Amino acid sequence: MSSAQIEIQLIASLVAIACAIPGTFLVLRKMALISDAISHSILPGLVLGFFITHDLGSPLLIVMAAISGVVTVVLVEFIQKTRLVKEDTAIGLVFPALFSIGVILIAKNANDVHLDTDVVLLGELAFAPFDRFLINGFDLGPKSLWIIGTILLISITLLIAFFKELKISTFDVGLATALGFSPVIIHYGLMSVASVTIVGAFDAVGAILVVALMIAPAATAYLLTDNLKRMLVLSVFFGVFAAIAGYWFAHWLDASISGSMTTVLGIIFLFVYLFAPKRGLISVLYRNKQQQVEVSLLTFLLHLNNHKEVNERHINHLHEHINWRRVQSKSVVDLALKNNMITIDDSIISLTEKGKNFTDKAIDYIITNDDSKIESIKEDFFLFRG
Amino acid sequence: MKKYIIVLVLAIFIGCKQEVKKNGKLQVVTTTTMITDLVKNIVGTKMDVQGLMGAGVDPHLYKASEGDVSKLFNADVIVYNGLHLEGKLEDVFEKMRHQNKKTIAVSDAIDKSTLIGSEYFASNYDPHIWFDITNWEIITKYVVAQLSELDAKNAISYKENGVKYLASLASLKITIAEQINSLPVEKRILVTAHDAFNYFGKAFQFNVVGLQGLSTATEAGVKDVQKMAKFIEEHEVKAIFVESSVPKRTVEALQEAVKAKDKEVVIGGTLYSDALGSAGTEEGTYIGMYTHNVKTIVDSLK
Repeated sequence: MSSAQIEIQLIASLVAIACAIPGTFLVLRKMALISDAISHSILPGLVLGFFITHDLGSPLLIVMAAISGVVTVVLVEFIQKTRLVKEDTAIGLVFPALFSIGVILIAKNANDVHLDTDVVLLGELAFAPFDRFLINGFDLGPKSLWIIGTILLISITLLIAFFKELKISTFDVGLATALGFSPVIIHYGLMSVASVTIVGAFDAVGAILVVALMIAPAATAYLLTDNLKRMLVLSVFFGVFAAIAGYWFAHWLDASISGSMTTVLGIIFLFVYLFAPKRGLISVLYRNKQQQVEVSLLTFLLHLNNHKEVNERHINHLHEHINWRRVQSKSVVDLALKNNMITIDDSIISLTEKGKNFTDKAIDYIITNDDSKIESIKEDFFLFRG
Repeated sequence: MKKYIIVLVLAIFIGCKQEVKKNGKLQVVTTTTMITDLVKNIVGTKMDVQGLMGAGVDPHLYKASEGDVSKLFNADVIVYNGLHLEGKLEDVFEKMRHQNKKTIAVSDAIDKSTLIGSEYFASNYDPHIWFDITNWEIITKYVVAQLSELDAKNAISYKENGVKYLASLASLKITIAEQINSLPVEKRILVTAHDAFNYFGKAFQFNVVGLQGLSTATEAGVKDVQKMAKFIEEHEVKAIFVESSVPKRTVEALQEAVKAKDKEVVIGGTLYSDALGSAGTEEGTYIGMYTHNVKTIVDSLK
């Protein structure tokens, strides 16, 4: 592996970490789309910054771009407060307007400068190692490594300093206000960090990958945990994993690096979406199915409990009486037998002591809705959980 | 979190094996297929030549792949067109000058006063300089001189190859001129998808009309198509041409527009503009490409 390859992976990993931190909060606040909006609406800021400095490498460009990111958020809030449109509509109104202002400014005044939309949307990670940071001819590594490293350091410092405030204002705006934090300041602080991160990263990796790195790892992590700290760690892990795996995927295919990283992010999300232990599609489907069976079981047990007469308890009577299909009644009977809740004597079903006990508890729970009484049966059944 | 990062960084470094430079030859990286062909003709087997852009790749829209990173990283010499043909890549090459890599922009060899300027920007020139064979001869001499300076021990071989290549360019010029002279001047109207053939037109008195501007990134508008259809009708142009690196769609739209005026115009064939044909074929070389283009143009316009 050459030093250029190492540098690309290092830059991509740092970008992944820098994006995962604000990304987690954006996903939790249901504001994922704002990252896409900011990535486009920073363009007029970049162009204005360029007109002032005439230097594409100037830090003023980043400042101006970050300001236009915050302007985006302010405008979105402003339109949303009129209550005439919803938040996503407001976002959709604001960022194309700002982006097109940027495009027009370029077209009118800076056509021969490489500030075009292509560069904005698809930065070239492949060339990042060739843009060096030189001081007096001494090579200090790729420029983007320094830029993104600085941004990451600032984000981490802010995250540690304001973790509690961020956490409370994300989950409970009312409580945050009552405790004396200003959720508005936290909100704009977070948006500024997101803007600066997007601006810092977009030249290195392109806006599409930045948006993917902000949202996909956080969304994936959210499927796996409810704990904020764990979610942050998982987001960082998924982001860095996708950056490195994506690089080698690109190496193997000899394809675009940013494109491969985005693909890997998508694959990771799909995998977790399907197989996550609690919120994954498959486990949700399984649980729904299981709950259906258990509802049937309970109905069946209640039926047995209510009918002492033998003809109502005959095994062939089940699907006639409760109107179940034969397969379903068989699976319910099997489940009940497995749990020793019933016995079958000569095709007549009777409740066992355990079954009787269970039914009583269940009835009790349904009537009183008191959780403490069903602790013992919770273990065996999904139905009474949550 | 820190632990994860340390593990990952370690994993990257453990996975490293420093690639050794093979066989001591200088590594040359070239951009367009035309330049790749030229440099291969000059250096023969004395240097390793690797082109970034493949056949049919539009240099305006080229996207770097992972493999290109290693090519650029290991390169000793980079030969490129310049004049913004390679877009953002040129900024990268300029930065590489500070990193002990020799970069040669072939357009530096051409006197700026002979270049065709852009309609809109005085300082921007039409980058399709290879369509004037005289330019290509100047460029050949320039690249030979630059490479000989860099690799003095093989200089004689480069000069010999250069002389040989210049001879074949000279004979190409003669055969091309003969063919084109068989076409009366009033029939020399070349309608293509984008403005790549201005130098060709200037050299052989062709009236070159491109449907879109210089950049292939912009799309032709409906108005452009209508204007062009009218032009074709008035000048009774027999054939229009598609280009290998530009989608056929716009030219086909133009053909339809002409048909709507009850005139017939055929698509004369595919011309190679911003890229050569596939490697290994006749059209995969500069000379083969030029011969093919002229034959296609002359045959369909006759």
